[in-house]
Amino acid sequence: MKKLTLNQLSKPIILVAFFLILTILRPSSFLSASNLGNVLWSVSVYGIMVSGTIFVFLLGGIDLSIGSLCGLTAVTCVMTIRHFNYSTTGVLLGILLTLGVGLLAGLVHGVIITTFKVPAFLVTFATQIIFLGLSMIFTNNKILSCQNPPAFTMIGKNPVPIILMIIAAAISWFVLRKTATGRYVYAVGGNPQAAAISGISVTKITIMAYMISGFTTAIGGIVLASMTQQCMASTGSGYEQFVIMAGVIGGISLLGGEGTVPGAIFGAVIIGLLQNGLNLMSVPSTQHGLVRGIVIIAAVGFDALQRDPAFQGWLAKRKQARAKNA
Amino acid sequence: MKKKILAIALAAVMVFGITACSGEATARDEGGATTEASASNKVKKDVYSGEQEIKIAYVAHDLSTPNNQAWLEGIQREIAPWSDHVTVQAFNGESSAETQVTIMTDIINQQYDAIILQCSDGTALADSVTQAEEAGIPVVTLNLDCTSVHSALVMAVDYDAGRMIADQIAEEIGGKGKVVIIEGVQGLTRTDNMERGFIETVEANYPDIEIIDKQSASFEKETAMTVMNSFLQNYDQIDAVFAINDAMAEGAALACQSAKKGDIIIWGADGEKDALEMIESGQMTGTIYTNSWDQGSTAAKIALLMTGSEYSYSVLSETPQVIMEPVIATKDTVGSISEEDRW
Repeated sequence: MKKLTLNQLSKPIILVAFFLILTILRPSSFLSASNLGNVLWSVSVYGIMVSGTIFVFLLGGIDLSIGSLCGLTAVTCVMTIRHFNYSTTGVLLGILLTLGVGLLAGLVHGVIITTFKVPAFLVTFATQIIFLGLSMIFTNNKILSCQNPPAFTMIGKNPVPIILMIIAAAISWFVLRKTATGRYVYAVGGNPQAAAISGISVTKITIMAYMISGFTTAIGGIVLASMTQQCMASTGSGYEQFVIMAGVIGGISLLGGEGTVPGAIFGAVIIGLLQNGLNLMSVPSTQHGLVRGIVIIAAVGFDALQRDPAFQGWLAKRKQARAKNA
Repeated sequence: MKKKILAIALAAVMVFGITACSGEATARDEGGATTEASASNKVKKDVYSGEQEIKIAYVAHDLSTPNNQAWLEGIQREIAPWSDHVTVQAFNGESSAETQVTIMTDIINQQYDAIILQCSDGTALADSVTQAEEAGIPVVTLNLDCTSVHSALVMAVDYDAGRMIADQIAEEIGGKGKVVIIEGVQGLTRTDNMERGFIETVEANYPDIEIIDKQSASFEKETAMTVMNSFLQNYDQIDAVFAINDAMAEGAALACQSAKKGDIIIWGADGEKDALEMIESGQMTGTIYTNSWDQGSTAAKIALLMTGSEYSYSVLSETPQVIMEPVIATKDTVGSISEEDRW
């Protein structure tokens, strides 16, 4: 059996610490199946989205458009269902069309970035505004409600979003860990020149990564629309911050080449647990920002420290010293 | 409904009359020169004559929200009869006071005739508003006003809405029980006042009602579902929920539904279409409905009145207010809000 290092254990340690603290502080309400279900439910859209956007992060790219794309895909889905008179066929077509929109958005991103060599930050910043603009035109800035049919509303009800998050994360993890494509993604993100020389098509990998990001964003959009049983232009706005935050908390390097799917999901869960904890402890909402910021820095700092070579060297030295003394 | 609007507009004119008279006196005391100087900037344009072009600017807080859109549509409806010479241009403030300040500068430079504005930040926009008024462009604010004196503020009830909801909830739970509040983003005058109205009424009049918790859901439906879920986890007994806007009340209702706690009383505020439907179907208890289209129309009406008169803002000592008539929408009364008035 492979020996687990402290480095790999730091995230589980942080999670356990969170659980312990919250269980001690709120014994009756925190550690119940329904509360934990609610926590996972509340982060499921972030979890689904980050499972795909991680491909972009690993390439050292960024996708700022996912928030407004989430809105645009929610609008696409709801409008299609409304067009087909809230029928189950409408739901099916709506989902397919929405996934198509997500893939297309990713394709456009990928092609522009690889062909014109424009920084991803700029391209996706521009498309972020374009997607919001499109949503505003399509919805005419109105709320489009969609409380039917059950085939649609069930997508957002517990536990479906959690299952979708687990599936998305599992597939993403499998592709990144167990397939050649996944290794190429890490290779391109780590050193694009070296990857190109060794015969990997950087263009292909980049376009694929943005398409996957668009695809999971579309799933996120469908789930979000179903959760709220409505959509509007501003649906999903600001979600890109949470997804990026989940990724970074989970140890993804925005420079590329570093990070894992379980890490990203861990990041999303931490965001949810923090919010849940603050709510359960009735902390006034004016103080949420401060507490959240400090806890995130503490968690990320602890995680980063574990991976710091100097710290590991110091640990090893201490071990040796202790061995000598004994 | 139409008559009520007229009454409101009339009341507005009267308020102007009174304030204008008293204001004029003080202005004269201080010396007529200033009054003359600022009055001379203003170009009188009569909408009825149809001879001069009138340009109205609508600066929204965030154009992508339904409420902002309803206001815009209300303004458009009001000017529709004169569409050949009156135009409205909508600008998106993108929830940012800085953006709004930039937009305001552009509008003043382009010599618009009137501005209908929602200040994302009342202090940050005070200068811009004064500049516009000095340039002879009357500024009418919608719900979100600014700290400097301007032509008019057209607002939905805030403090009183909170008070009314407190009274309604008290009646429904028999003056006794546990209540939670779902807050929006703090620092907005309207919602802060509404919350204050609610809390103060409960504390003063209903000693047996306890506000056990309040948490923010940033005006968002999905966040409100999460917040409501944690309330349900944390407290065995919740009799009523007051959410500061309808989107959050809808979220709370969905959360209660999936937790099989459908008997909790849930109140929102605004009166948007979906909430009215949920009240009809019994998922939500009630809301304070404001006709946002009407509110936009009223603002446009006042703006046109200003452009067509000699009136100058310099006679005002404080901003005149026009309060929109609130409707308490419950299952019994929601039917009286006709389909065409649902924004």
